[in-house]
Amino acid sequence: MDYLINLSILFSIYGILAISLNLLIGYTGLVSLAQAAFYGIGAYAAALLMTKAHMGFFPAMLCGMGLSACAALVIGMVLSKFRGDYYMIASAGCTMIVYNVLMSWREVTNGAIGIFGVPRPAIGDFVFTSNLAFLGLAAAFLVLVMLAAHLIASSSFGRVLKTIREDEDVARIFGYRPLHYKMLIFVISAMMASMAGSLFAVYLMFIDPSTFKLVENVFLLAIIILGGLADNRGALLGTLILIGLPELLRFTGFPTEIAAQMQKVIYGLLLIVLMFLRPQGILGKFRI
Amino acid sequence: MDLFFQVFVNSLVIGSLYGAIAMSFALAYRTTRFFNLAHGSMAAIGGYTFFWMRDSLGADFIISLPVGILVAGVAGFLIDRFIYAPQRQRKASSTVLLVVSLGVVTVIEAVLSMVFGPQFRPLVTAEHISSFQIGPVFITQVQVWIIAVNLLIFVGLIALLYKSKFGRMIRAIADDCDVARTLGIRTDYYIGIVFFIAAALAGFVGILNGLDTGLQPTMGFYLLLKGIVASIIGGVGSIPGALLGGFLLAVVENAGVFTIGSEWRDAIAFVLLLVFLAFRPQGILGKGKE
Repeated sequence: MDYLINLSILFSIYGILAISLNLLIGYTGLVSLAQAAFYGIGAYAAALLMTKAHMGFFPAMLCGMGLSACAALVIGMVLSKFRGDYYMIASAGCTMIVYNVLMSWREVTNGAIGIFGVPRPAIGDFVFTSNLAFLGLAAAFLVLVMLAAHLIASSSFGRVLKTIREDEDVARIFGYRPLHYKMLIFVISAMMASMAGSLFAVYLMFIDPSTFKLVENVFLLAIIILGGLADNRGALLGTLILIGLPELLRFTGFPTEIAAQMQKVIYGLLLIVLMFLRPQGILGKFRI
Repeated sequence: MDLFFQVFVNSLVIGSLYGAIAMSFALAYRTTRFFNLAHGSMAAIGGYTFFWMRDSLGADFIISLPVGILVAGVAGFLIDRFIYAPQRQRKASSTVLLVVSLGVVTVIEAVLSMVFGPQFRPLVTAEHISSFQIGPVFITQVQVWIIAVNLLIFVGLIALLYKSKFGRMIRAIADDCDVARTLGIRTDYYIGIVFFIAAALAGFVGILNGLDTGLQPTMGFYLLLKGIVASIIGGVGSIPGALLGGFLLAVVENAGVFTIGSEWRDAIAFVLLLVFLAFRPQGILGKGKE
């Protein structure tokens, strides 16, 4: 039972990440490999503010989101110059830079060792110590993010994003400024990823830089391409499958190290095979 | 002053490593126009084949070196034939091919980790660290090799591209694949050979890198990222640009390492990439817009 609760919490956190990335890749056509960077910023902001400044979880998470929004403004500005492949390479570079900062700014981030003893969130006297209570919190945030994503997708804002995805010049002819829209969705998406990061930090009560490597982006990419681009339910479906599927490997009796590598083989093969058979994913409405 | 020379020589060695992987990447890129992220994995495959031949089979250097290079080349050829070529036939966009190659690199790294273990393995033996002293500067035997091989790859690729019939064919394919095919050039056959050569060169670089420092399943991707940075700042797809970019990247990295510390090497490289992408996306030797 505890095992299922653990999986559900991971599902909620990755669901938030998948939805945030889907807003960028699926709806706006910006194939970003920078999402792990904002995920990391959110996680470290929460962990540091809670352990060093003894802030509560909710203000710490908001600070992390603010920080991510500022970083996203800068990174988004730089990335807005590129399209297609160059966008991917440049955004991958951003992930590498943030990872390098987390690893090497030892005075603040404690380097490769990571940060221990991150407390669980609390409201008043109630502390989310049990995993079941924490699942409630994580699921509430997931629902919040889903609602926001649904609002964005079904509003006129979402329709402009899709127009930009199909043809930026058309959007411009109709009097929209593509840059403003791309920046706004980039910042929103970064704040969502940051929220997921804060949740992740307080759930594990420990973080180190290894979670925020470039390969995390590959995992997220596999999730949303499998589930379906430009569909919020698709993002959740992809998360469900890719969080659940590798867990089955645990029951095959391989040693953990081999099982971890086999997970990566699955993600990789999935990307290759999907690009052949169904590049838009299961529920997707858009193909890259 | 002595320190300056030592930093200079170190930049020369690392720049050669970056330049060599960047040139082999550029060869494939200029022909097929997509970022093949699995290219670096060919270096890892070459390195691990060499390592396995030498340490498990006890094979001589003279045998394990060509076998390592050959295995990398064949791997590159097969990946193109069975994964990239079918995508090209379907007129897949370069972004789709990039995502596919991301899948390939993930699989190869994971398989190498399962077979050889994920940890770092030094390949060095006493023979390879025997170093020369030229004036105030130390340089190991392998590092001299690296510099020599880098120059050899440069001369070889330029000769291949501009002085041979094969070179004319692949330049024609690079200009316009469809027209080349209409003219009767067997484009997939030539592209396959290009992938073989590029991967074999990467395998060579992987072996040298292994002998200089060591092997890790993730080394190829890491090396390739540096190669891509070198390639972009030099002018993407250009062979001389890749050579130049490799050296420039190494000099900037080492200057940064020297002033703010070695742990910031990667951040320096990627900031340099972003600066170039933002202000001169066509690179040093590139002409006009990409």
